[in-house]
Amino acid sequence: MDKRLLKRERLDRLIDGVTRGGGLFVAPRLDARRVVYGPVTAADEMEFDYIVPGNSFKEFFFPRTEPVARFSFHKQGTELEEVRPEPVETVIFGSRPCDAASCASLRSVFTWDFVDEYYTEREDAAVVMTVACTQGDESCFCTTVGVAPDGRDGSDILLRETEGGDFTAEAVTEKGASFMERYKDAFEATVEGREKEVFQPEILDGVDLERIAQWLKDKEHYSSPLWPEVARKCIGCGACTFSCPTCHCFDLVDEGTFFEGERRKNWDSCQFDYFTLHASGHNPRDTQYKRWRNRFMCKFHIYPGKFSTKGCVGCGRCIRVCPVRLDITEVMEEISKVP
Amino acid sequence: MEDKLRQKARELLSSGEVQVVIGYGWNRRKTRTTPVFITRPEDTDRLVFNPLCVNNLSVYLTRKYPDIKAMGRPAVVAKGCDIKNIAVMVSEGQLKREDVYIIGVTCGGVVYRQELWQGELKPGIMPVKCHNCDVRNPHIADVVIGEKTDFAPPEEPTGMVFDKIAEIDGMTPAERFAFWNEHFSRCIKCYACRQVCSLCYCERCITDKNMPQWIESSAHPRGNFAWNLIRAMHLTGRCTFCGECERACPVNIPLNIINQKMSLVVKDAFGYCAGYDPDEHPPMIVFSENDKEDFIK
Amino acid sequence: MSNIYLPHIVKIEDIYRETPDVRSFRLVFQDKKVRESFEFRTGQFGLYSAFGYGESTFCISSPSTRKGYIQCTFRATGRVTNALAQLNVGDTIGFRGPYGNWFPVDEWKGKNIVFIAGGIGLPPVRSVIWTCLDRREDYRDITIVYGARTVEDLVYKNELEHWDERDDVYLVQTVDPGGENADWKGRVGFVPTVLEETAPKPENTVCVVCGPPIMIKFTLQALENLGFSDEDVYTTLENKMKCGVGKCGRCNVGDVYICKEGPVYTAREVKRMYNDF
Repeated sequence: MDKRLLKRERLDRLIDGVTRGGGLFVAPRLDARRVVYGPVTAADEMEFDYIVPGNSFKEFFFPRTEPVARFSFHKQGTELEEVRPEPVETVIFGSRPCDAASCASLRSVFTWDFVDEYYTEREDAAVVMTVACTQGDESCFCTTVGVAPDGRDGSDILLRETEGGDFTAEAVTEKGASFMERYKDAFEATVEGREKEVFQPEILDGVDLERIAQWLKDKEHYSSPLWPEVARKCIGCGACTFSCPTCHCFDLVDEGTFFEGERRKNWDSCQFDYFTLHASGHNPRDTQYKRWRNRFMCKFHIYPGKFSTKGCVGCGRCIRVCPVRLDITEVMEEISKVP
Repeated sequence: MEDKLRQKARELLSSGEVQVVIGYGWNRRKTRTTPVFITRPEDTDRLVFNPLCVNNLSVYLTRKYPDIKAMGRPAVVAKGCDIKNIAVMVSEGQLKREDVYIIGVTCGGVVYRQELWQGELKPGIMPVKCHNCDVRNPHIADVVIGEKTDFAPPEEPTGMVFDKIAEIDGMTPAERFAFWNEHFSRCIKCYACRQVCSLCYCERCITDKNMPQWIESSAHPRGNFAWNLIRAMHLTGRCTFCGECERACPVNIPLNIINQKMSLVVKDAFGYCAGYDPDEHPPMIVFSENDKEDFIK
Repeated sequence: MSNIYLPHIVKIEDIYRETPDVRSFRLVFQDKKVRESFEFRTGQFGLYSAFGYGESTFCISSPSTRKGYIQCTFRATGRVTNALAQLNVGDTIGFRGPYGNWFPVDEWKGKNIVFIAGGIGLPPVRSVIWTCLDRREDYRDITIVYGARTVEDLVYKNELEHWDERDDVYLVQTVDPGGENADWKGRVGFVPTVLEETAPKPENTVCVVCGPPIMIKFTLQALENLGFSDEDVYTTLENKMKCGVGKCGRCNVGDVYICKEGPVYTAREVKRMYNDF
């Protein structure tokens, strides 16, 4: 399919079309002084001047908290009722290529032998419209980890901003093409306006991904004194994990009363001190640097080694949100430097 | 000033008076400061002090960091607001005054909107706490680095936080509930507010206790309200308004409004302000027979 | 939709009080189809729900050769296990499983097997013991070395008696020094020490080891001293789990997920793991 033009004023047509059918149109919007992905009902709620929204859109495929089952207690026994995800058509507008690239990573975990249909059904019902980056900041490092600021991985439609404030649109997948067909009155055939230049974050030449992968493979390095050195300042707050588009850890908890309750699947963080705490009191990761080490391993060893997908997409959210500015790229450089 | 700071740190480490200096250092690009742990005298050149040094380093002195405690006697670079937290920790028996060497630094204010920092400290990018600060000259320290300042805070506290408090005071309970519900619904239960606070030092926070589960861990409005409420209650009378929790919050929940309101309530009821006297206990954790009771109706 | 987080409902058919804080449950699936078709292999585990409290991970301690019911044994330690310990016969709980890998008992045909367990580590080993005893003719010598801190802490006391009486099983029971009572007729000593005294021969023999981490560590050492290859020694590990299906990111030791690539490992595989214990 050839490139189409999506004029700014046509966005309302898309939003109406999706929301009228009961769907969700998610776009960057302002919420408490931050630009975040959130549902919008009109184009004037949308923000267009942002680097990357503060949250990742994983929360629309993998909610922060959701019930998976409900139970009630009766004389005859316990009655258990499953809670289905019931996804609606979701359009993620204004995704960045880094966020879109994370979809493959999350899917690889959630479909590892056992399929988590709470995730797959929601992702299958979503159309990801990525806008290529025309601005960035010092925390962006997608090019260092092999993601392009106009990359297509994970997107259904790739949009590029034009000088006039509109977007050129290119279908990347079948799902994207049929979406553009469905709304062909919004996606015009005549493309006019010059596309803005794509912002290229500098490639951090102190980072050698190959060296890092090799270094992490050696189990002796797991006990290296480098870990407490770099991660001592971590305060274990979990903000990085909750903002990260590839972090997937969750908890299953039961909540309720004596008569009934529900089982919920909640976001959890490997940075919390009780994450790996056994009931016996033993905790394999009892100090903060061990927990931080696990996060780094997960991103650069477990994800690529076990799931063959990117653990880190270079969005830089963890760097921006960290209260102590523990910069993952600085740790990558430290490890790359190790003789 | 930084030279004096580095020199003092070097002296302390070389003489063995302390084994680790917890201070601020630049990040790689020299655009932000980050906590550093200096153990060798030759590394003290990494220490810096400038208006970007927002972190409250007293958090590393709490019992939650056994690996930092194991490093030995610490010296900590502390601004007035950080020292207030250390004073409360001492008054609560978390550490002995002589177990930490306080390197006090005179502070002209810090920058919160760090993306707007262009080298000059302008009032618009400083947080409310700095405009009302009365400890720009550290009040408790083993040594004070920096020029004494004669900044005097305004008589009545001013700033966005106080305006908002006045506005909320005028709301009905239903309006207040709606206001807080809207803000707490954004909460993602990341516990950054708790982790960054040096007075949230419980090794097993109440929300982590599960026999029984007092505070639900799910990020739904009920669970969020419970968490934020319990934290506000547990900090009442102890919080020094250092503002770290609001800064750390990744979803911009206005925690400073809660902190400051609780401080004002305690000041009114008990005449106590947290963080000035390490020998005076916060009123909510002690009971004395002659406590005021006239507000109990 | 096959909801991987939805448990089956099982009814408690029997509760046995092994020790003051250890219970054994015999569970029957309430759904007839599940009850008739449920299969698992020895070594696999499940997640047992105490509805309203949460789920806890235990191995399936009944042998894979017996159908129609499953058994589990647990110590009341935390929130969920304490809630389970308060239940009565006839109450319903949840079960998700079977998850994980299994002991390759079919590969062990014709071999001698030495089972070594300590304390609450006997339940997973018990599953393998009975699976082998149910096909006794497939295996040669079977030795069981089991010990606990005190006589009261021994689990499956009635089955230990039965194994002691069988002449096709060589059972060595021990308690830690100071744990014996006046009637104790077994050995006194830590399990690794008693193991070395028992001195099983490594030729054509596999070992199954389970117990507290410290016991496993010294037992593996003892087995090495006795000449066993680390490929012939099997153990089952545990870690805190929540989902059991490799998604919640909790049970990994380095890059190995205990719920998916375990819990059964050879000693060689354990040595290769990252120090994330």
